Amino acid sequence: MEYFLNQLVNGLCQGAIYALMAIGYSVIVGVVGMVTFTYGEIMMIGAFSAYYIFQAFGNNLPLAILAAFTGSFVIGIIVYKLCYEKFFNAPRHISLLCTIGISMLIKNLAQIVFGPETKPVLDIIENRTFTIMLGSVRLDIKLLQIVVILLVIVLAGTLTLFFNKTKWGIALRAVSQNKDAAYLMGINVKRTALIGNCIGSGLGGVAGILLSIYYYSVSATMGGAYSMKAFAASVLGGLVDIRFSALGGLCIGIIENLGIAVSAATFRDVFAFGFLILVLLIRPQGFVSKKGVRV
Amino acid sequence: MKKKRMLAVAALSMTAVLMTACSGGSGSSTGGGSGEASTIKLGGLAPLTGNYAEYGKGFQIGWQMAIDEINAAGGVNGHKLEIEVKDTQGDAVVSSNMATNFAEDESVMAILGDFTSGACKANAEIVDRYGIVQLSPTASAPDYANMSKYCFSIMGRQDGEAPYLARYILDKYLGAKKIAVIRVDSDWGLSCYENFLPTAEELGMEVTVEKYASGEKDFSSLITKMRSVNPDVLVVMDQGDSVAAIFNQADAAGWDIQHVALGPGTSEQLIGQLTTPDNLIVTSPFFFDENDETLTKWSSTFQEQSGFAPTIHPACAYDTVYLIKNAIERIGDGEITRDAIQQALDQSENTGITGALNFTEDGDIVRNYMICGVENGKWVVLEGFDYANE
Repeated sequence: MEYFLNQLVNGLCQGAIYALMAIGYSVIVGVVGMVTFTYGEIMMIGAFSAYYIFQAFGNNLPLAILAAFTGSFVIGIIVYKLCYEKFFNAPRHISLLCTIGISMLIKNLAQIVFGPETKPVLDIIENRTFTIMLGSVRLDIKLLQIVVILLVIVLAGTLTLFFNKTKWGIALRAVSQNKDAAYLMGINVKRTALIGNCIGSGLGGVAGILLSIYYYSVSATMGGAYSMKAFAASVLGGLVDIRFSALGGLCIGIIENLGIAVSAATFRDVFAFGFLILVLLIRPQGFVSKKGVRV
Repeated sequence: MKKKRMLAVAALSMTAVLMTACSGGSGSSTGGGSGEASTIKLGGLAPLTGNYAEYGKGFQIGWQMAIDEINAAGGVNGHKLEIEVKDTQGDAVVSSNMATNFAEDESVMAILGDFTSGACKANAEIVDRYGIVQLSPTASAPDYANMSKYCFSIMGRQDGEAPYLARYILDKYLGAKKIAVIRVDSDWGLSCYENFLPTAEELGMEVTVEKYASGEKDFSSLITKMRSVNPDVLVVMDQGDSVAAIFNQADAAGWDIQHVALGPGTSEQLIGQLTTPDNLIVTSPFFFDENDETLTKWSSTFQEQSGFAPTIHPACAYDTVYLIKNAIERIGDGEITRDAIQQALDQSENTGITGALNFTEDGDIVRNYMICGVENGKWVVLEGFDYANE
């Protein structure tokens, strides 16, 4: 029991990071209307932006988060200009292939600019463990895990407020729901899509910094595996719904860790993607209701 | 219009950057090549990117240092040496493609590399078919070098190092009885474990093992799992970034346990990546002794060129070039062919900076091992060679 509860905490924390990745991913797909394969590299750029802030200013987490958001936001502009802007009316596979190419370009450039070796990100958050006794069951929770989960909750909450209470947020939702109708309402669809892509990218950057703090390292090739998890979580949530995408991320994190608890770590992806396939077989639209609430 | 022009400029500059990236990534020979009879070309296989990039970069610099020295001293039998290094990304499939490229290029006389045993084994059939030497600085799987007469390695074999870890580090030095092993799920990881287990069992140790896929980042669930067994020592069998990741995540979980690693050797980068480096013990066949003038000088030259302190891996890479040089010298006035190099190498007895390099019948060498630990952020030898000679 104690063993499974501790594994559940591990899963919850990893799921929280997946959730943040999935939220960013869903914002991009929802607003732009196209799937992206640059997301892993966007997270990597965010992680490196934070890494250099840590190098220059010490363990300043708020500044690093700002840098990660900004760094990835800027990459979001470039990706939008190169992969989406000219291809809104073109067949979808064109921008899809474009994002694959740009992803390779960013990864290779990063290896040249940042160097190929893995860089350590140590002691950003104090290594402290809190022990909670639930009757005779001992539950260990790391300070790092608490910080990660709280950050994800705060960011997701801020994003929800932004989407529901601000003019920009409402415009983003309108574009996400129906581009033509939004255009007729006087919304600048292209500019709004650009902003949406950049906000999603910025959130990806913040997920990148959380990954680097949680795993104590950054490297130019770190993005690949995670972008697939973000995509899977997002698909679980119906691709465009941020709340359900976040739930998808959490589920994948928990399923993976509980799966490893009863089998072997080599089966991690089997559990993650097996769960995805299973859910899609039963509910092809993912967790989201049939009506679908976009962004 | 202005906007379009700007976009065109941006596209052009991206293309330029892309082309630079491509040429930088693949590496290139420095002129001369097949046309010049006075240049002997070698092919280098190294993981310049990916999980093992630190080691690949070390290979590249180690090889070039040796070649620069040899050429500055007048070359070998009047020939200059040159090397073209290809990035294998630590991937056996990529490595095989690159090995085929070198094997089909008749100007390449021998292949140095690759880093992992898995990649070297994947290339064994190719080098055998084309009849070209593949001399790996670091492949340590016992079943690699005997795959072909063209396969050689100078790292020493797992069937020497893994039993040493069990008998001397775990049993004699630490007196541990309950061992938790976390290993990478690869040819190399399996070979480590299979060579480790019989000795551990013979010594009455209770071993629990878990494996993970190469490239794994999250070890929290594995650590929770291992912790529930309550072992005396945590042993990690891997070489790349995962070693630091596992130990750091164990520290973060508040797990106070002795860390032992088989594979990374005395890597400086590893010290920088660990939250508690002083808690680590590794096996290593070689150590940069500060009192040895030649080694110290070699080490500082390497560090100047690479920006990081060397491990045994680049030192072995450096030695492989000298092994080829010695082989070519033995050929003397005879024609320098791929087969002539294989035959001369097969008979060679040499001493490199990493010690005596005498090939066994299989084409690898037998090493002695040391117990190394970290004190105040620096590698130190905890016990001498004498254990291995018992």
